[in-house]
Amino acid sequence: MTDHKIVFKQGDNNGEPIAINLPTGTLLSEAAKQAGVEVGQPCGGQGRCGRCVVQVTQGSIRRRSVLRLTSEDVSKGFALACQSVVETDVEILVPAQEKIERRLTTDRSVADVQIPAGYDFSWSQSIRVVHLNLTPPSMEDQTDDWSRLQTAFRIQAGYNRVSCSIFVLKSIGIALRNGNWSVTAIVDVSDQESGIPVKLISLKPGISGEVEPLWSLAIDIGTTTVTVWLVDLTSGEIKARASEYNGQIARGEDVISRIVYAGKESGGEELQIKVVETINKLVVSACKRAGATPDHVYKAVIAGNSTMIHLLLGIPPSSIRFSPFITTINHPPRFTAQELGFNFHPDAVIDCLPGIASYVGADITSGVLSSGMYATDKLTLFLDVGTNGEIVLGNQDWLVGCACSAGPAFEGAGVVDGMRATEGAIEEVWVNSETFEPTIRVIGGGKPKGICGSGLISLLAELFLAGVLDKAGNVNTTLDSPRVREGDRGGEYILAWKNETATGKDITITRVDIDNLLRAKAAIYAGFSVLSEQVGVILEDAEQILIGGSFGKYINVEKAIQIGLLPDVPWERFQFLGNTSVLGTYYALLDSEARQKIKDIASNMTYIELSADNTFYEAFMSAMFLPHTDLNRFPTVKAALNRP
Amino acid sequence: MPIEIPKDKWPGTIHTVTLGATNGEGGTRSKTVTFGGETTMPFLQFEAPVPHKPVVAIEIKDHKPEDWSLLLAEVWGAAMTDPAEWAKAAENAGADIIVLALSVNDENGNPTTPEKAVGTVKKVLGACGLPLIVFGPGQVDLDNELLVPISEATKGERIVLGICEDKNYRTIVATAMANGHLVTARTPMDVNLSKQLNILITDMGMPADRILMDPTTGALGYGIEYGYSVMERLRLAALQGDTMTQFPMIVTPGFEAWKTKEAKVGEGVPGSWGDWKERSINWETLTAVSLIQTGADIVVLRHPESVKRVKYAIEELLMA
Repeated sequence: MTDHKIVFKQGDNNGEPIAINLPTGTLLSEAAKQAGVEVGQPCGGQGRCGRCVVQVTQGSIRRRSVLRLTSEDVSKGFALACQSVVETDVEILVPAQEKIERRLTTDRSVADVQIPAGYDFSWSQSIRVVHLNLTPPSMEDQTDDWSRLQTAFRIQAGYNRVSCSIFVLKSIGIALRNGNWSVTAIVDVSDQESGIPVKLISLKPGISGEVEPLWSLAIDIGTTTVTVWLVDLTSGEIKARASEYNGQIARGEDVISRIVYAGKESGGEELQIKVVETINKLVVSACKRAGATPDHVYKAVIAGNSTMIHLLLGIPPSSIRFSPFITTINHPPRFTAQELGFNFHPDAVIDCLPGIASYVGADITSGVLSSGMYATDKLTLFLDVGTNGEIVLGNQDWLVGCACSAGPAFEGAGVVDGMRATEGAIEEVWVNSETFEPTIRVIGGGKPKGICGSGLISLLAELFLAGVLDKAGNVNTTLDSPRVREGDRGGEYILAWKNETATGKDITITRVDIDNLLRAKAAIYAGFSVLSEQVGVILEDAEQILIGGSFGKYINVEKAIQIGLLPDVPWERFQFLGNTSVLGTYYALLDSEARQKIKDIASNMTYIELSADNTFYEAFMSAMFLPHTDLNRFPTVKAALNRP
Repeated sequence: MPIEIPKDKWPGTIHTVTLGATNGEGGTRSKTVTFGGETTMPFLQFEAPVPHKPVVAIEIKDHKPEDWSLLLAEVWGAAMTDPAEWAKAAENAGADIIVLALSVNDENGNPTTPEKAVGTVKKVLGACGLPLIVFGPGQVDLDNELLVPISEATKGERIVLGICEDKNYRTIVATAMANGHLVTARTPMDVNLSKQLNILITDMGMPADRILMDPTTGALGYGIEYGYSVMERLRLAALQGDTMTQFPMIVTPGFEAWKTKEAKVGEGVPGSWGDWKERSINWETLTAVSLIQTGADIVVLRHPESVKRVKYAIEELLMA
């Protein structure tokens, strides 16, 4: 057999090329090993993970498998080291590891948020700043302050009707006099065309040439996670973002248990205080980072599922729970910060976006707006993954939505070592199919503290494909590996030993965790199947699948397909949008047209109640399996399982 | 005018399964029992012949059970205290198969040991020539502890080991595969769950003709409609070509019927309920006969009179 000269060049340093002579048919990964060149193989050389990708710059090789490489990649000479053998003298470029992670086709990261094109504070915004010069009163002109101010508004700003709260009223006399009858007013001009008076939010003495910062908030109240964006209204820029678990969690993990809790004596009040406290805390920390003060927040747009909105407003949500599942209100009016107990400017405008039904709330109308699905001609499937999974199917002509209870597992709650997608969370995992040893990627790169949603999906898929889990999610504790053991909560897998973690404790996934994840993914997939069946389209015909929700900023689509969470369609159809609910509130905050569109979406979407018959239950039970009881729905997973 | 009866033709076939092995086949049974093989719904002989008729198994215990109805104690008499005698009596009562259900504790209240369980199985095999099904006591660890040595001690007999459930099937399937036995897979009245457990067992490499499925049933008046319809849907799926449902079905109407109040209680019930003994036997018989008509291949019964009546019903249905 002929020997060939193999030259390795490493992309991340300018060191000397390393050469080695080996016979025809040697695997590149084997050659790299013998040459002492590091090529990552977290899957154990099975061609599954794509982490061993290299570029052949000279000579030719034979690829056994090109899984994970596009035809463009192949034409550029990319190859999987564990799946390619040498045929001639070759020169191989080994890219730096982090570059590989960024170019994999299965990874989907959230795009950066853009300020809406053409945002102009003085035109698009409902919050306005008005400078007024008043004629001072005298013995001859005995007009009261408020009437005088109204006259100035009418003549100088064209506002025929202006209203204000008792709180503002208390401050106007002093402001007018301290400013020597020149004042700066902050007003809300929303819905003027429907005859609603302009609302005076704040009156400050003097007219400063420089507008003092006007802050506002885009808020998403999730059952599990609350997200706040602090937005500079003048520029439209997001100056700080903050997320935290919803303080209500201790009173129930899902909406149903929250509703039950709210029905207890003073339970509703307590839950209202909990969520307001969570938001206030987030606002303080966001303001601190941006150098702002909460008192300068004049407007907040809030989205959340219907139960969360009811609880925020202190409205008893009990009717949401019982057939025929009716909310008290789908389109709430505007409130002020002090009415709800927020720590922002007391008269700040609180605008809760409209919802559709008990289980398809403002978070979805907001998401449908920000995802852009209401404006496309493509058949689009939109999924918002949270504690409740909400699914919308349709396009610019029609929208059909449903909701299914997934539980908080994908947000890292309800799982022993689960956590939110913040620093220290394991966000991706590979498991070697021969040794069952894991390779992990941690957000921030330090020692792991726990596993976040995307990490859990990744872990479940890897354990399944490596044969650690059977299709029912049972851990095979008979494997010859210290990583599997019988624990208090059934079979478990140890992902990180205690001396490798930031907590000093083993990071594990237990049978109970796996059951929670299976239920979550089954609920979502069942929602997909029932929705598509009801409108008579084939799920796999969806031209684009838009995913919003709390997976952090990253998801591996292939792994989500492998566990049967997402339908088995080509990866390029998936787009990962991050928190679409808060993004929608951000658009609604800045643009009154966007705000109007959300209202239209809320009025036009058809809602399908999944509990109306047992089709959802059937679909759910058949999805309670890896990837699904009907493997033919997942052809790529079937192929992966059949690969030796 | 002649009326043409429409006939269904199905793409799927139920696996034909044989229980027990004779001397020549590596076992010690005097006869084997074959069932399954259906190509249409039960007893529709105008569509396709019934290849094998449903069979009746009698359930016996490793020692005299304390919680069984007095009527059963009365009819089996002293045989109940000795599993070998009980098996012989069951064979004489017309059983096609013996089901030996092991208990958590032995007759002295001590935990059942593997040695004791193996001894019981061997005694039963020695006393009668029928094929055997062995159920563990129904506790994960104990089931595995008892069934593995039983499986090894009876290698080649083609007995059925059970009961596999989704959280505990691996050990039972592995030992059955290694020793040439069959397994039965029980799931709680759900088409998808049945199918899933069958997939798990098949994934381990168990051949299709060595798997029985037990979709679980309820007694007459206690959920039989639900069990009936799950079985019917499983059978329809199988005939439509779903390979993971094409296994013969075993159900335990005896166990279900004899725990109902109607069968259990003889005193302090309304007079209109009629004779206790007749009522109890009717309860078991009707439960079993209903299930046979939705596709049960093996019904496990407890009272010899019910066995007689169910077998009679099967013959009558086949003549129609």
